[in-house]
Amino acid sequence: MGLGLLASKAMRPTASRLLNFQNPNNLLLRTIVSKPELRKPEPAAAQPEAPLVDLSPRTPVGGARVHFSNPEDAIEVFVDGFPVKIPKGFSVLQACEVAGVDIPRFCYHSRLSIAGNCRMCLVEVEKSPKPVASCAMPALPGMKIKTDTPVAKKAREGVMEFLLMNHPLDCPICDQGGECDLQDQSMAFGSDRGRFTDMKRSVVDKNLGPLVKTVMTRCIQCTRCVRFASEVAGVQDLGMLGRGSGEEIGTYVEKLMTSELSGNVIDICPVGALTSKPFAFKARNWELKGTETIDVTDAVGSNIRIDSRGPEVLRIVPRLNEDINEEWISDKTRFCYDGLKRQRLNDPMIRGPDGRFKPVNWGDALAVVAEAAHQVKPEEIVGISGKLSDAESMIVLKDFLNRMGSNNVWGEGISENTNADLRSGYIMNTSIAGLEKADAFLLVGTQPRVEAAMVNARIRKTVTSNHAKVGYVGPATDFNYDHQHLGTGPQTLVEIAEGRHPFSKIISNAKHPVIIVGAGIFERKDQDAIFAAIETIAKQGNVVRSDWNGLNVLLLHAAQAAALDLGLVPQSEKSLESAKFVYLMGADDTNIDKIPKDAFVVYQGHHGDKSVYRADVILPAAAFSEKEGTYENTEGCTQQTWPAVPTVGDSRDDWKIIRALSEVAGVRLPYDTIGGVRSRLRNVAPNLAQMDEREPAALPSSLRPTFTQKVDPTPFGVAVENFYMTDAITRASKIMAQCSAMLLKK
Amino acid sequence: MASSVVKSIISTVREKGLGGFFRYLKDEGYRRCLPDGNLLQTKIHNIGATLVGVDKYGNKYYEKTENTQYGRHRWVEYAEKTRYNASQVPAEWHGWLHFITDHTGDELLLLRPKRYGLDHKENLSGEGDEFIYHSKGHALNPGQRNWTRYQPWESTTKP
Repeated sequence: MGLGLLASKAMRPTASRLLNFQNPNNLLLRTIVSKPELRKPEPAAAQPEAPLVDLSPRTPVGGARVHFSNPEDAIEVFVDGFPVKIPKGFSVLQACEVAGVDIPRFCYHSRLSIAGNCRMCLVEVEKSPKPVASCAMPALPGMKIKTDTPVAKKAREGVMEFLLMNHPLDCPICDQGGECDLQDQSMAFGSDRGRFTDMKRSVVDKNLGPLVKTVMTRCIQCTRCVRFASEVAGVQDLGMLGRGSGEEIGTYVEKLMTSELSGNVIDICPVGALTSKPFAFKARNWELKGTETIDVTDAVGSNIRIDSRGPEVLRIVPRLNEDINEEWISDKTRFCYDGLKRQRLNDPMIRGPDGRFKPVNWGDALAVVAEAAHQVKPEEIVGISGKLSDAESMIVLKDFLNRMGSNNVWGEGISENTNADLRSGYIMNTSIAGLEKADAFLLVGTQPRVEAAMVNARIRKTVTSNHAKVGYVGPATDFNYDHQHLGTGPQTLVEIAEGRHPFSKIISNAKHPVIIVGAGIFERKDQDAIFAAIETIAKQGNVVRSDWNGLNVLLLHAAQAAALDLGLVPQSEKSLESAKFVYLMGADDTNIDKIPKDAFVVYQGHHGDKSVYRADVILPAAAFSEKEGTYENTEGCTQQTWPAVPTVGDSRDDWKIIRALSEVAGVRLPYDTIGGVRSRLRNVAPNLAQMDEREPAALPSSLRPTFTQKVDPTPFGVAVENFYMTDAITRASKIMAQCSAMLLKK
Repeated sequence: MASSVVKSIISTVREKGLGGFFRYLKDEGYRRCLPDGNLLQTKIHNIGATLVGVDKYGNKYYEKTENTQYGRHRWVEYAEKTRYNASQVPAEWHGWLHFITDHTGDELLLLRPKRYGLDHKENLSGEGDEFIYHSKGHALNPGQRNWTRYQPWESTTKP
């Protein structure tokens, strides 16, 4: 709730009228209930009906728009005398928001179920004997809601006094200070003094693991975290214990919170009871510079805000994007940031004859690389882009190697026979938000909970609201919703395709069936046969129609979709074995043992991770928090990162390094600004030039030639072994190491 | 006055011999009086004045109350004869020299706090970088704090 809005509310004419009535005797010694109206709050019906303010319609809170699914269902209510049209089923609180009145609240959260236990949102409704909790009361036609009357004011002041009674006065040492709902609302609605003189209650802190710090004495029992854990995260870890003043939030038995979304309870906690453990006592929120960017630790591309102070990233918080991550992010996204400060490459380095790296300047390093590249045959040059590469650097790498005469350039996680020709064959065609319409899921070789936690949260949301059926083919893994484990290998797929499996009936009966194929299948030799089987299932279940495309691939890395768009597909598996010059652009998950002993290896990247030990020359590059880069997420939505902090040491943007190298090597690339690179990107893949827009695939994937190769009966593998450590940044992070040591089930 | 000067020269020569006398002239800076008028003027001023004290650097503090203009009755002859400046006067003598107090530096030195009283340092500006004071955030301070906020990768570590 914005403080400005609260202040403007306080300055409305009704409020000033009340002030004028004030008894002059009470000016010096003001008690809690001082005004005559408040002592004897009469129902507002007795007051003159005509609103004194102008009746021009006010804009809804946050500029939100109301969607009427059925125009006949619209009802009219009056908020402070203003007529407002809302759809049937809205609560009083939502009606007030449409009318532009922000009701104070603690327990109400628009994405969670309604608890109605904080009582902060009390408003007066005409002909109702008592103030009503607006979050839990459905709006009825013709209801006259009053949010600004003495009754409502007294109710809020009373609720606030009870909440503050047992709340510690430790705002100066509280990490929530400055962004605390209780702090803000007590400034706006609370009294200026307390009458409570007894001992405050105190509660023992709970250990919720390495991510969430608890100071349970600050808790106001809004139960948002309990509802979040059971409804969104799908773990039954948190609960309410006790009654009355002994009421407290906790895990029933001493245990850690094992959810990949646990960090979100930090954001939804309205007070400082649940705060971030790695961020504890590091900074105040008003010292931080927020940079709105996107996340690259998985293929979802969650919208985040990087909060930094000086050259340091201090925390990462989610940004609202209804189409991608709603307002949640996974723990890996939120807490990977300390990896940006460790194991950084900060100087160009050359491996000397003694096998040790020596820092050199950029000119020398590029000259050595250019000379080595010219000494080998063009077909022996190989370039591999990594999991975190942006589209700009990938197109520049491809252009550079093409000018050197080689076309052996590919992205990690893409194998020789991956189909990059049809865009519908590798993106999530349904779109992440579109999954909410589905009523049957078939997950093939994918563990969405570890591969893309935000997609998993959408599937869970669909399963709980639509009672969608989920069938899963792959190795045993844990889900946080009801599912049927159909089998472990491609044989099960063939059975479903041939109609021999009971699940094929579920798919064909479903109105909006969804098939999600994991990108781990790209690594398999028989992927064409598997995709043929999947397409047979899709055809029989009518999964791909003109109004519904339910055939999806769930990619694994942030760079994968853009790499496939740009055609970074290996020509042959053997080219790495026969390579003499290998350019690794952040490629840390490539099998470096395959690189021949006599090959010259250049590693360009931001972390000293795995491949750096095989490199002959190291070129330091910028991490995602330090550069402007285009990324495409798994549903085909192009987004961009923005630099939040400066680059470390002597490192440079990825595309600039290759551009400079091309000039030293004598094959100058024709662009030298990021705009130039992007217009080149637009020529190759036009969808990468349209920021923040999802470009659906044009052609349905059924154009793929039918394939009749037999499937390999080996079961599907696990694509992500450790949720917390998947790339160079997360592997360098200490917090992620702690998480994988404490939270992963062994 | 002139006779007393001649008398003292003769007695010094008798005491130290001719070679010792010239060495004495050199050490006391009389040779520098030829190019340096300030020093010559101080030496002439010193005749007949009382030596109030000598600080631990060897600066001599003189006072002459009779036949002297008020405000010019206290002065210092620096121990350093070639490169002298006002910052060579320590804090305890500063007050006496500038008529702030009548307590001499030797008296004030007794009041110096033992635990945190620092030794006087002259201003060495212009004498070379190694003499100049640099604050602890300055790049030239050898004990400068490390403000690097990241930990670089060390090439010696093996996986």
